[in-house]
Amino acid sequence: MSLEFIIGLIILVIGTGACAFPRDREYLTRIINLEIPAFGLLLVALSFDETLALLTFIAVSTLTTFVLVMLVERKVTS
Amino acid sequence: MNILPLVFGIIILTGSIFAGFARDPYAKLIAIGIIGGGIMPLIIMRGYVDVAAALAVIIPLSTIFVLQLCKKGAA
Repeated sequence: MSLEFIIGLIILVIGTGACAFPRDREYLTRIINLEIPAFGLLLVALSFDETLALLTFIAVSTLTTFVLVMLVERKVTS
Repeated sequence: MNILPLVFGIIILTGSIFAGFARDPYAKLIAIGIIGGGIMPLIIMRGYVDVAAALAVIIPLSTIFVLQLCKKGAA
């Protein structure tokens, strides 16, 4: 097991805990917390040396953030 | 033993713990910047400079999206 894999798993656990039980129960906090496990998963993908998987995951993660931001904006304005 | 990955790992862990515990959204965004700052050298050390270039474009983009929501005070 490489160091990236171990750190990625630790961050995945920390980020999942922060997402599931946020200190402020707001949408914005949850969206920002969602980026922490994404970085952990990125490190795990990095430890397996898959370039295409890395690039795809980075792009999809940002796309997900964009969709969630749009959704929360719409919910707040309505 | 190369000590640099360990240092970058400590930076990433510090950023993620700070992001998990901070209450202010702006502080959280700064902590995510710290995580990005730790991940970028790790990716480059593995030799994926193209992935690092893509990440350098995409991480600020994601921050900009969240900042839009911060500005409107959505909660």
